[in-house]
Amino acid sequence: MSSPDNPILDLPYDVQPDPDEFLRAAMEWHFNPETGSPFWLRRAETLDFDPRTDIRTHADLARFPNVTGELRYVRAEDLVPRGYGTRPDVVGVFESGGTTGAPKRVVLTRDWLDRMVAWSNANLDAHGFPRGANWLGLVPTGPHIVGEFFRRSADTHGSRGFTIDLDPRWVKKLIAAGRGADAGAYAEHLLEQAEFVLSTQDIGVLTITPSVLERLAGREDLVELVNKKVKAIRWGGTQLDPDSRHLYRTEIFPDIAFCGNYGSTMILGFAGERAGLSDDDPCVFDPLSPYVTFSVVDPATREPVAYGERGQVVVSHVSKSFLLPNNLERDLATRIPSDRGAGDAVADIAPVATFENETVIEGVY
Amino acid sequence: MAVADLLNPGPGRGPGALPGTRPGTQAEPRPEARPAGQGDARPEDRPEARLGPVTGSRPQARSAAGAARRSAAGAGPDDEPLLVDALGPQGRFRARRRTTVTDVSGAPVAEIGLVPSLFVDRTVKALRRATPMGLDERIAAIRHAAELFATAELAGQDPAAYERTVARVGGVPLSVVRATTQNIRARLGRVHDSLAQARPAGVAEDWRSPLTRTGSAVWTRRAETFAVLAAGNHPGTHSLWPEALALGYRVAVRPSRREPFTPYRLITALREAGFGEDRIAFLPTDHAEADTLLRAADRSLVYGGEDVVRKYADNPRVLLQGPGRSKILITADTDWRDHLDTITASVAGHGGTGCVNTTTVLVEGDPAPLAEALAQRLAALPALPPEDEAAVLPVQSADTARAIEAHLLTRAAGTRAWLGGDGIARDLGDGSAVLTPAVHQLERADAPQAGVELPFPCVWVAPWSRADGIAPLRGSLVVGALTTDRHLLDELIAEPSIGNVHAGDHPTYWMGPGLPHDGYLAEFLMRSKTVIRD
Repeated sequence: MSSPDNPILDLPYDVQPDPDEFLRAAMEWHFNPETGSPFWLRRAETLDFDPRTDIRTHADLARFPNVTGELRYVRAEDLVPRGYGTRPDVVGVFESGGTTGAPKRVVLTRDWLDRMVAWSNANLDAHGFPRGANWLGLVPTGPHIVGEFFRRSADTHGSRGFTIDLDPRWVKKLIAAGRGADAGAYAEHLLEQAEFVLSTQDIGVLTITPSVLERLAGREDLVELVNKKVKAIRWGGTQLDPDSRHLYRTEIFPDIAFCGNYGSTMILGFAGERAGLSDDDPCVFDPLSPYVTFSVVDPATREPVAYGERGQVVVSHVSKSFLLPNNLERDLATRIPSDRGAGDAVADIAPVATFENETVIEGVY
Repeated sequence: MAVADLLNPGPGRGPGALPGTRPGTQAEPRPEARPAGQGDARPEDRPEARLGPVTGSRPQARSAAGAARRSAAGAGPDDEPLLVDALGPQGRFRARRRTTVTDVSGAPVAEIGLVPSLFVDRTVKALRRATPMGLDERIAAIRHAAELFATAELAGQDPAAYERTVARVGGVPLSVVRATTQNIRARLGRVHDSLAQARPAGVAEDWRSPLTRTGSAVWTRRAETFAVLAAGNHPGTHSLWPEALALGYRVAVRPSRREPFTPYRLITALREAGFGEDRIAFLPTDHAEADTLLRAADRSLVYGGEDVVRKYADNPRVLLQGPGRSKILITADTDWRDHLDTITASVAGHGGTGCVNTTTVLVEGDPAPLAEALAQRLAALPALPPEDEAAVLPVQSADTARAIEAHLLTRAAGTRAWLGGDGIARDLGDGSAVLTPAVHQLERADAPQAGVELPFPCVWVAPWSRADGIAPLRGSLVVGALTTDRHLLDELIAEPSIGNVHAGDHPTYWMGPGLPHDGYLAEFLMRSKTVIRD
């Protein structure tokens, strides 16, 4: 085995490594006592296989247990591979939404952030986002990684990023407590702040969550303001159903470029919407494979579903900076062939349609 | 209403047990008897085989393909289901998100497009922007729509196909659906009478009335938009909300999955009759978007059970149509034997699925003889598929029927079963089951079962004494009072939690033209305002 610090781990986003060769190099890096993180080196002792010899192909990632829950408790320092040396270039420690108990933590390193953003900037070019614009972000900041990606994207693809705080944990608490009106008031509070920025600054790109975008779309004055100034809207954070997407693209913001992403703290980034899709195509998200990969599986068997079929999304992150394989997400998606090699693309991320509770017993309605 | 009508509600016998359709209460002529055989359930006559192409589609990328799909239909039972689209401010909206509506056997009948909350919100905003038509125009359009509803081919369905679809999907007996078509026609044909009766005396309908020269109250809308979270138990519930349209409100209806066809047809008719696309909308949605609709609209009418009542009880913008828990009280001075037809009809009329059907009968004295006689009458009702001409009982999917049965058997523990004690789900062998009647005797008037309302002829018979007073009758949509005790009537009529009182030989489902069902809807939608002018 060559040195664990294999150059295949440091390729720019647009040079595609052989996925299996890359994977084997990454296993060597993460599980070699000289370069691996304290977390994974400790964890490897309890595995019933040796990742350095037994993980040969992308499909083998399914052998890993899902360790995502352990990220609630591990020291952030223990997540950084030792191969980064004593002064790793860490951008920050970020946390999951924290809706189900304590938040999970990840460490974002500079090399990964740069690769992710360079790839995503190229995707925005393909969607017709103008370069050099000012961006306005109505996205979570603080402990949430999306805020960091927003700033970095605004700084590199655009000129300047204007931000507004959005605390998703508080919103989720309000909704869970049945305080829908308070959640609505919070959204109005965000829009009020956005209006000050939009009306006074030259904002060309808006980054926003679907639920806040829907609130914005309910304000005719803001829709007019956005249509006047904004050239491109990037949405993400939660799902956007295909009918709303159609309405935005055709009725509400007909002249504005529109691009979604499907992200997660646990993949240290997001997958971007495939460019060139029509309204009637499913909204396909391609991840930055082989670093971030998706599998769409039958939740009961964990076997992949056929292309075009619905299943639950399993995500894996394998890069020099971080390893989190085989993490079953709560989202359902349609399995779509990847355009980059290992793993799947996903489409139409959505909850299951329920329409109405059919088991209501008492009463006649 | 004789119980014989319930047993034989075939062609030519008139509408049968339906709100407002008793002989002598309906102003409109009875419908002509239909040709014999029209309702035969031949295999090629299955509802999904009769659904025609969607008509009136706006030119849309997908509608050509949809029309092609539909035009291939009509040949046999393997047809693709009907597409029921949302009807929004720019016409038909073919949502990409769909759900399948099945008939009682589980066979797919229609695909409904579910619109997102963005669409709901924009639709209500468009409704608010639309100017109402003048009163006379509105009334004329509703009358015209009522005729279209009852007679025209709408969205590819003629009335017979529509009625059969409602019977097969909702499990409502075909004769009941037919009668309801005529009832809706009659009620909407006289919608202005209802409004006129609901308007406080002395309040002018319009500020231009000469009464305002010297000062007068004028009737005005409290708001502009009205949402309905509709019921699916009985098509007759859709005869109420058009009053809001008549008052000038712009209306959005979210249908029930159990039966979306009646509002779809009625709203298609209203649009054709002149309300156009921005005054009345049809918005099938999932649960979450239903909340969006209530938030977006100024006022709402919501049908639902106890859970829904709890959820919206404190919302002054929501008018609730909760459990009916209608009851009959018979005092010792009245012999129930003289009224057995009326009591039986109250329990089982229009399939026994209505909030105005009797849930509980309270008898001064021994309830056993009445329970026995009721059980005997109800046991004679035939268990038939809903599209059968002679069907009188509701049908549900076998799974749902068994769930209702299990619930009944649990709740009925400790009571004396006169009918249905071994179960009420009669399997029809095609995945559906008839809900056959149940009669149980309770030991006390305040037994908890007395409030258990189920969507089929299910009645609790309990003893009542003067000492109980009217307490066990509280919280009832209708109380039928078979008594000569005028003091008791005073109390019942004064009781705020009782919706309507029918004293004497009138079934609990009786509704007269222009009379309130649960108060006048207009009480919720209108206010009086002083206007004086020179």
